[in-house]
Amino acid sequence: MTATVQMSEAKASASLAVSARGFSKRYGKDTAVNRIDLDIHKGEIYGLIGPDGAGKSSFMKAVAGVLSFEEGTLQVFDTQVDSEASAELIKQRIGFMPQGLGLNMYPDLSVEENIDFFARLRLVPEKELTSRKHRLLGMTRLEAFRDRPMKNLSGGMKQKLGLVCTLIHEPELIILDEPTTGVDPVSRRDFWSILARLLREQGITALVSTAYMDEATRFQRAALMYQGKVLAEGEPDVIGNLAQGTMITIDVDSQADALQTLSRQFEQIEAVGSRLRIWVDEADAMLAEQQLRDALAGFTIQHLECDTPGLEDVFVAKLRQEGNVVADLPAFEAGNNDKTGVAIEAHELSKRFDDFTAVDKISFTVPKGEIFGLLGANGAGKTTAIKMLTGIQLPTRGEGQVAGANMSTAAQLIKQRIGYMSQAFSLYLDLSVSENINLFAGVYGLDSKMRRERSAWIIELADLQGYEKELAGSLPMGLRQRLALGCALVHKPQILFLDEPTSGVDPLGRRRFWEILFNLARVQNVTILATTHYMSEAEHCDHLALMYAGRIVADDTPDNMKAAVTAEAGGLLEVSVDKPIVAVGVLEESQYKGAALFGRQIHLWAPDDQTNRSRITSLLADAGISVLGMQARTLSMEDVFVYRVLQQEQAREKNAA
Amino acid sequence: MNLYRIQAVISKEWREIVRDRLFLTLAFVVPAMLMLLFGYGLSLDVEDIPFAIVDHDNTQLSRDYASRYTSSRYFDFKGYSQDESLLSKKLSTNELRAYIVIPENFEKNLMAGKPAAVQSILDGTFPARAATSKGYITAINTAYSSELLASYLSKAKGVSAEIAAEALAPVSVSVRYLYNQSLLSTWSIAPKLIMVILMVSPPFLTALGVVREKERGSIYNIYASTVSRAEFLIGKITPYVLMSVVNAIILWVLATFLFGAPFKGDFLFFLLATCIYVMCTTGIGLVISVLVETQVAAMVVTAIATVVPAALYSGVLVPIPSLSGQAQIIAHALPAMYYTNILTGTFLKGTGMADLWQDVLILTLYAAGLFLVGYSLFSKRPRS
Repeated sequence: MTATVQMSEAKASASLAVSARGFSKRYGKDTAVNRIDLDIHKGEIYGLIGPDGAGKSSFMKAVAGVLSFEEGTLQVFDTQVDSEASAELIKQRIGFMPQGLGLNMYPDLSVEENIDFFARLRLVPEKELTSRKHRLLGMTRLEAFRDRPMKNLSGGMKQKLGLVCTLIHEPELIILDEPTTGVDPVSRRDFWSILARLLREQGITALVSTAYMDEATRFQRAALMYQGKVLAEGEPDVIGNLAQGTMITIDVDSQADALQTLSRQFEQIEAVGSRLRIWVDEADAMLAEQQLRDALAGFTIQHLECDTPGLEDVFVAKLRQEGNVVADLPAFEAGNNDKTGVAIEAHELSKRFDDFTAVDKISFTVPKGEIFGLLGANGAGKTTAIKMLTGIQLPTRGEGQVAGANMSTAAQLIKQRIGYMSQAFSLYLDLSVSENINLFAGVYGLDSKMRRERSAWIIELADLQGYEKELAGSLPMGLRQRLALGCALVHKPQILFLDEPTSGVDPLGRRRFWEILFNLARVQNVTILATTHYMSEAEHCDHLALMYAGRIVADDTPDNMKAAVTAEAGGLLEVSVDKPIVAVGVLEESQYKGAALFGRQIHLWAPDDQTNRSRITSLLADAGISVLGMQARTLSMEDVFVYRVLQQEQAREKNAA
Repeated sequence: MNLYRIQAVISKEWREIVRDRLFLTLAFVVPAMLMLLFGYGLSLDVEDIPFAIVDHDNTQLSRDYASRYTSSRYFDFKGYSQDESLLSKKLSTNELRAYIVIPENFEKNLMAGKPAAVQSILDGTFPARAATSKGYITAINTAYSSELLASYLSKAKGVSAEIAAEALAPVSVSVRYLYNQSLLSTWSIAPKLIMVILMVSPPFLTALGVVREKERGSIYNIYASTVSRAEFLIGKITPYVLMSVVNAIILWVLATFLFGAPFKGDFLFFLLATCIYVMCTTGIGLVISVLVETQVAAMVVTAIATVVPAALYSGVLVPIPSLSGQAQIIAHALPAMYYTNILTGTFLKGTGMADLWQDVLILTLYAAGLFLVGYSLFSKRPRS
């Protein structure tokens, strides 16, 4: 009996790559990780999901043996990691890629030199190195860029090179800290499919962190972390059960009033484009729908749809249930400006830098009071477009009207009428909150009465009561972002420009931010033009323009964009199988090119008809994989983005050939 | 210790240095520039003092007295003037540094055996220069007085002028300056500048190089890999030591050929001692880089930790024995002084290992100590 127990324990520990018990990490007085227990099995992709400051990086560094910790035990393979000497023992078996896109590589060295350095540091024999390099570069499609200095690579390529460098010594466990942060959706998908292939072919274990909640489905198992604690752990479905509820999306007349009415009863509610998404604390969809319909008596509901909530919804619900309440927004005074007409009009705008065309003849129109989203990968030309429209840069060609003024001739006038918030949040980090507000008020020439009034409003808007004397640099990212937004709004601009406004902000912060934007647009009639990387945020916009290589390749409402892609591609099919990692390889080799792994499911572009169903089933059956289920999926904005960009890339390659 | 891994670190570091054109240029141009700037700017010789004379007497004797100044190489004679207020204005605008006023009846008084008082007015803003100028004036004046006395004596006693002069000055001092016969300050300054520059530039290069890796985050590659601490540090530092040795040779060439400082010692011994000194100062950079987290902090700390000791406690400006007791202790605790000894020895005195082995030994111990401190402070598994 005892022998069996011992044996099964030994077996359990042999199948574990990492095992943490009561693990705590403190930096001075701050606790980054607070007594967590985690087990990571060999051969799985294990995810750490959570916003900035959740403690993901600290834990990963400790596992990689590059950070000491204060409490608890940490076993990596057979080694108790408790000293610098013991940490050295596991390093040959581990590959670690720290956070920050390409930051751990050497910008002046070429792709090949970077790989060679990592390999030689690990004493990979030269002959082995040549063949591994060939294989990995081929897999990541970096072969053509061997001699290019790392600093001249795109974000997605840097990230793939980072992965190659991490894998060159064939580690058994790879630890990737936020490998997809700051990378566009296409490169992100590419990255996940490469990772899936590697795991399939080499049977290694991966510990991967992400701040994107929607990436949870990429993992076999994951831990949802927040403020140093694990909120939930297990398979993505299990984590999804953290809070019980139903997500209802409605299309309703007089959206702003409906939102007002609903928010009295439902705490978790957001406007997405022309719709409203409401979390109902009721798992039964029928009952949830009834609750909502009762609350909306008197409103005309055009359309209603019940969904199982996504992880981000669940996460926010959980935080809310635990008492993390967000203060109410201050009142927004109704805008007195003319509600109709055009706020921004761009006509064939172009910007060239030497022989590089950053923006190539873009044209679009934004009506007053609309939330307009500019999407695109890094380097697509979004920031340059914004800089021209705000009068910071002169266009090489073309013209535009912004807030009723010509952008080439009346840049000064435009600057008085618009607010601009840049990627870096444009705050003075060494000034306090109120000093920052006063500075912006002074720059725009507000008198002292107005200044006091706007100051109070901004503090309330950004939920910064009690932080007035704090330095902007010491604020958490969410608060800092809202302060920057407040500063951009200090002079009551008619148009607000936002350049990647939510990078690094946690879901709660992002929600409040969009709530503010919604109120600004709907109540105050402020026109908003925003660029974003988060495809889930793109859904908040009334209208989208998708940029690729300086041009606008799609310009429509989110719904129409999805409809167009569905019509073209036939739809998205979700296949559940018993061996997903193998299955995705089989499908990739076949005609289903875009097959992508999402945890236990595979997504691929194909109409949901009998022909495809039987073809996929037989393809997989030949490889010894059984299909557990198959269903059509509604597209996300990310699907649309990836589809359109890949389409452009293929067209470009055809032209080049 | 695995040579293959050390080589990997060296070759990576070297490529990064070579491709970073700005860094590479600064690494070699700045030390040479410092040598030129300080070499030309830090001359302590006082010569060609802009000078004028007010001669109220205007006699043959007064002209004769004035000619002693105008013909001196120490004074750059700007002309006679009658207007004292004009001269004092020129003194304030730096057109003049000194002038003398010869009173009326200068010749008459001297001929009558009465004393004559010449007034000299000096710019006292730089005490050292003023004191030297005063020394020149006093010397010229004393020489003139004794000559005058001697000619009296020879006329009165009927002896030759030479005998009269000897009789007036029974004790004469004969001075011969060893090692630097003409007392040119560049001879002594140029070698010491090598010490100052090699004190400052290697730590800068090293600290920036190591901290750059920390600041970017690529240090995690090192932490996470199997390269040992010693292998990494040796590999990381070697390129900077080599670059600094090349710099040392460039500085040596500038000191000997451009500034004409004599080099009397053994070049190989000089090179050996210099390598050790460079390792020593590189070690300072290493210790700093282990302690700080950002490049800006590395620059500030390096500047404070190297410039001050190199300038004040090394014997470059003030000889060590002339320092106060406490300052002497500090000077003995820092490496600069020992290398200054080696430089003065090899350049001016022609001494070698036999006389300077103690200094070399101390520098070696110093370098070893610094590397040991850097090694023990560097952790591959830090607390934050």
